[in-house]
Amino acid sequence: MKARMQMSSSVVKQEFFKKWIKGMQIYSAFNKEMTIMERKRAIKLSADVAIASTRSATTQWSRAVVADVSTSAAGAARAAAEEILGRKLPERKALATTCSKKIVRRSHQRRSKAAARGVVRSSAAIAKKLVRNRTRVLKRLVPGGKKLDEISLIKETLDYIACLQVQVDVMRHLAAAAESLDHQQISF
Amino acid sequence: MQPISGEFGAINTLNGLLNQHPISSLHNHGQLPQFDPVDDFLEQMLSSPAVYPCADDHSQQQMEEHSTSVLASKLRQHQINSGAAKALMFQRQLLLSTGLAAGNGAPRSPTLSDHNDGIDGNGFKSIQENDASIKALFNGFTGSLGQISNQSEHFHQPQNFGGAGIATPAAMNEATVSGSSGGGASGQPRQRVRARRGQATDPHSIAERLRRERIAERMKSLQELVPNANKTDKASMLDEIIDYVKFLQLQVKVLSMSRLGGASAVAPLVTDMSSETSKEGTSMSLTEQEVTKLMEEDMGSAMQYLQGKGLCLMPISLATAISTATGNSLKINTNSDAQAPTSPTLSVLTVQSCGNIKGDAIDQG
Repeated sequence: MKARMQMSSSVVKQEFFKKWIKGMQIYSAFNKEMTIMERKRAIKLSADVAIASTRSATTQWSRAVVADVSTSAAGAARAAAEEILGRKLPERKALATTCSKKIVRRSHQRRSKAAARGVVRSSAAIAKKLVRNRTRVLKRLVPGGKKLDEISLIKETLDYIACLQVQVDVMRHLAAAAESLDHQQISF
Repeated sequence: MQPISGEFGAINTLNGLLNQHPISSLHNHGQLPQFDPVDDFLEQMLSSPAVYPCADDHSQQQMEEHSTSVLASKLRQHQINSGAAKALMFQRQLLLSTGLAAGNGAPRSPTLSDHNDGIDGNGFKSIQENDASIKALFNGFTGSLGQISNQSEHFHQPQNFGGAGIATPAAMNEATVSGSSGGGASGQPRQRVRARRGQATDPHSIAERLRRERIAERMKSLQELVPNANKTDKASMLDEIIDYVKFLQLQVKVLSMSRLGGASAVAPLVTDMSSETSKEGTSMSLTEQEVTKLMEEDMGSAMQYLQGKGLCLMPISLATAISTATGNSLKINTNSDAQAPTSPTLSVLTVQSCGNIKGDAIDQG
């Protein structure tokens, strides 16, 4: 893990940038005129797949991102993703998530039982509860985090945050550059 | 009675002892599910036998209280003699057999109320493994908080006296020795000697300590990444982490909506100003159609689309005023469609296309 973290960020940025542009070019090859929402989706998907591929499936979240794309993407999105990753995505039908009623009922029972007492617990218990709730939220935020245990969740979050920072940085630079370019054009 | 496979002979004898007396009346200790302050219950258990509401004859009542005190003393004895595991099994037997949600031999474990949620869940349910694992998780979590040192103190007393009816001994051991690095933990209650600080002898405790250290070191490296992360406790650290992740994800979303690309790099994605002005006449109807389509779904996206083209929406009155007043250097798009939202109340202007209009002329409601 340490070795991966020491990889220089500029290398990652360049890699991400190239893959991102590649993805967007595929999108534009598919259709020239896009609405704002389509365009946003194109940019975002290309960026996400690009940043996930810089990790080359070594982390859980990157695998989850790619899996998510391969189930829900179609047409231009799929082509762009495949181009970025350099491999074919397996065709996968989106799994309908079914929930066992018994499990849900049981969990609700337990929660309502505890809540019904209405007791002020000690501060330690409150802290534990806070931590537990927040861990749940974090699991939801980090892609693929639902099945992780606590230790690997923190590790994945670490990596995910670092990559998000790279992504935001590059995108912001490009947006700023484009903005200044447009200003130059206007002034002509 | 709970048919715990008789691992310990003592438990079996106690089983027999319990079976002699009709314990059913004890179940009518009805207010149990609501209780929670453990000390109240303790007082009931140990001091005032007259609380039992339904004891029919006194002899029975006395025998019951005798049996409970016998149980309590036997419990303590066992804990002194045997290991923690046995004591806990024993104690669980005691609790389950008397149908009580939580039993505490210690008159002063009021601070165990933090275990109450676990206890209450455990008392009547048979899903104890889940609770144990959840407890272990909790303990692991709070370990690095530094609060565990408080808990470990409390844990010691109960364990010595027959603490809380937690599901498995393993969980209890973990809970007990979870403060091993933070506070002298002991896995050997029989001698009531605490191991020295940081020298827990139990393999469970060692594993637990390792785990907590790993978490702590990862948290530390996270602290460097996340801004404002100089918090010491886990809950607020997690909070900061969550906020930061949400913020970054939102930034990605917003950036992917912004204008990207001028003429060169990602040109096909955006119709830039130059191409727009060149095909002015033909694109107008196209633009209008696009805008109306977007307006149907979301006003915001419609406005963004116009912004992307360097256009703006404004009331017709203003548009006519501007077009007569100024020259032809501005490109003004007046939507005179029927459903166009150019009501007098709406005027949105972009900075780019209306840059040389005086600000006050624009500020219309």
